[in-house]
Amino acid sequence: MFRVGLVGAGFMGRFHAAGWARTPATLAAIFAADYNQMHALCESTGARPVDSLDALLDAVDVVDICTPTHLHHGMALKAAAAGKHIICEKPLARTPQQAAEMIAACRAAGVILLPAHVVRFFPQYALAKQTVDEGAVGRVAVVRLTRVSSGPAWAADSWFTDFDKSGGMMLDLMLHDFDYARWVAGEVESVFAKSVGAQKPGERQDYGLAILRHTGGALSNVEGGWAYPPPMFRTALEIAGDGGLIECPAEGTAPLAVYRRTTGGDDGAITGVPTSPLAEDPYTTQIKHFYDVIANNAPPRVTAEDGLAALRIAFAALESAQTGRRVRLEEVQ
Amino acid sequence: MRLAILSFAHVHAEGYIHNLRAIPDADVIGFADDDPERGHHFADLYGLDFFDSYEDLIAERPDGVIICSENVRHLPLIQMAAEAGVHVLSEKPLATTLEDAQAILDACARAGVHLMTAFPMRFSAPILEVYRLITSGQLGHIIGANTTNQGKLPRYHTVYPRAWFEDRTLAGGGAVVDHTVHLSDLLRWFLRSEVVEVFADVNNILYSDAGVDVETGGLVMLTFDNGTFASIDCSWSKPPNYPTWGGLRMELVGENGLVTVDPFKQVIPVYRREAGGGTWAYWGSDSNQGMIDEFAAAIREDRAPSVTGYDGYKAVEIALAVYRSAETGEPVRLAP
Repeated sequence: MFRVGLVGAGFMGRFHAAGWARTPATLAAIFAADYNQMHALCESTGARPVDSLDALLDAVDVVDICTPTHLHHGMALKAAAAGKHIICEKPLARTPQQAAEMIAACRAAGVILLPAHVVRFFPQYALAKQTVDEGAVGRVAVVRLTRVSSGPAWAADSWFTDFDKSGGMMLDLMLHDFDYARWVAGEVESVFAKSVGAQKPGERQDYGLAILRHTGGALSNVEGGWAYPPPMFRTALEIAGDGGLIECPAEGTAPLAVYRRTTGGDDGAITGVPTSPLAEDPYTTQIKHFYDVIANNAPPRVTAEDGLAALRIAFAALESAQTGRRVRLEEVQ
Repeated sequence: MRLAILSFAHVHAEGYIHNLRAIPDADVIGFADDDPERGHHFADLYGLDFFDSYEDLIAERPDGVIICSENVRHLPLIQMAAEAGVHVLSEKPLATTLEDAQAILDACARAGVHLMTAFPMRFSAPILEVYRLITSGQLGHIIGANTTNQGKLPRYHTVYPRAWFEDRTLAGGGAVVDHTVHLSDLLRWFLRSEVVEVFADVNNILYSDAGVDVETGGLVMLTFDNGTFASIDCSWSKPPNYPTWGGLRMELVGENGLVTVDPFKQVIPVYRREAGGGTWAYWGSDSNQGMIDEFAAAIREDRAPSVTGYDGYKAVEIALAVYRSAETGEPVRLAP
């Protein structure tokens, strides 16, 4: 059975580690820049802490990259050169060029490269895609996708809000729905987008809206943001076709809501966020699938080419938001 | 006060009859229609006096009329009413060309009659709460808005056949001209800012197999002079068996928070034993009544209505820019 090495022990690294624990694979080693995070995760998983990527590569068969976006490219090239299969958090890379290099390197080395586009593993998104594929809504005409949260305060450091490292909200967050829109409505031909970004002077929030035109004629409205007051997070999904409609609104599908008094007594403030408990969290579903791809040659639900295509849509959106023009995908290198 | 309706082409006329009858000092003198079959149908249905000529009805000297004709026929009816000194409430869109919209404004100004555009959402109780929230500054600057005004294909939300909604020569277009105007008007009103740029893309995947050749799907991005950007989904994307006619929703993201509003959410779902699924029975306040009351009040008090002909003109300007952008694939600039 293969051995997995996890790179990065932050928010996403912990989710992936929990997923690997539910597979026959062994999480053998963890390398992370944050010493405390690395040791804490090693303690809870039984993995061995290592002090370099090279040491990790020596100890494992599969590398799972959960580091900040700008580090994916260099780490993946090293892992490919060492002949290791690669799982890589989304976005696959900081730029489409980097992603293309990663794909070429992995192909040359004969190793698998799988981007972790976890939205494809969220049951409502997977079911909606399956429902579309079964023909229930006919030919897809208009897709609406929303994914907005409060600022990424949960990040161990501020790399998410450092544009050079993360590519900003469109590349980190809207990317999920760019990938999903392409999955259900086909290749994207052009993007028109508007955004404000916390990178710009005077802006405290990131918020964006994008209109995609797909080559088959469908249109997608994609909303993304780190813009809500905490602790909010909302997603919504709607797919209209000439044969029917799928609606999964932001309000109304969470089966559980708990409202607590925060200060005690009858005058205390009440807080609550509705939740949607599942027997298996989608991150685990995703890792189990990746296990199946690597161990059993299962067809991947999401490929590195999908990861690159999503990046190109995000770059087109960024370019459109900056220039005010509609940007055709063929303009993106 | 003597009030009447010119044409029952628009489905909203059916509701307005009840709204007019609810005004204590209103005398509903009837309605005129150029389609005698439609005229007799609704005369019988609602117990109304039917005039088979618009001129004959105008000769009865009403104080105000509601124009519910096909979109392209607003101009001649409004001119006729204005020249007779009759105040006008016109269905939206006010017109299908900017020239017609301007001619409507000119005719009413020349005659000194009040002109109101039928934007009932401005009188919706949940929408009025959003208006107060935003204009009081509680949300801070509005960064962006994600909005929808989707519906069934018009033929599926009228019992009496009204095919003209899907006919470019009578409606001026399809989903865009039908379903962008309410939201562009609400956003102008909330933001107290004018649209300076319009981008749009449309398609007609929905119902192209049913012979519908106007656009049935559309996404619009408006940018306002104050920097706010807003997308509008105007698609006729609700299937025929959807539990209600469609809907309008807005999510406005401000510096200090988020407001979401779904003014048609005040419903009880009703499920029947027969096949066909459920329907939503609406129990919220009737915003049409607020609008008709305001029209009557403007006549009674001889003042401009709170929603003007100019508001209707601006909505037409934006809808036409939507079509220009969809044709060229590029954003269209508008003077603020």
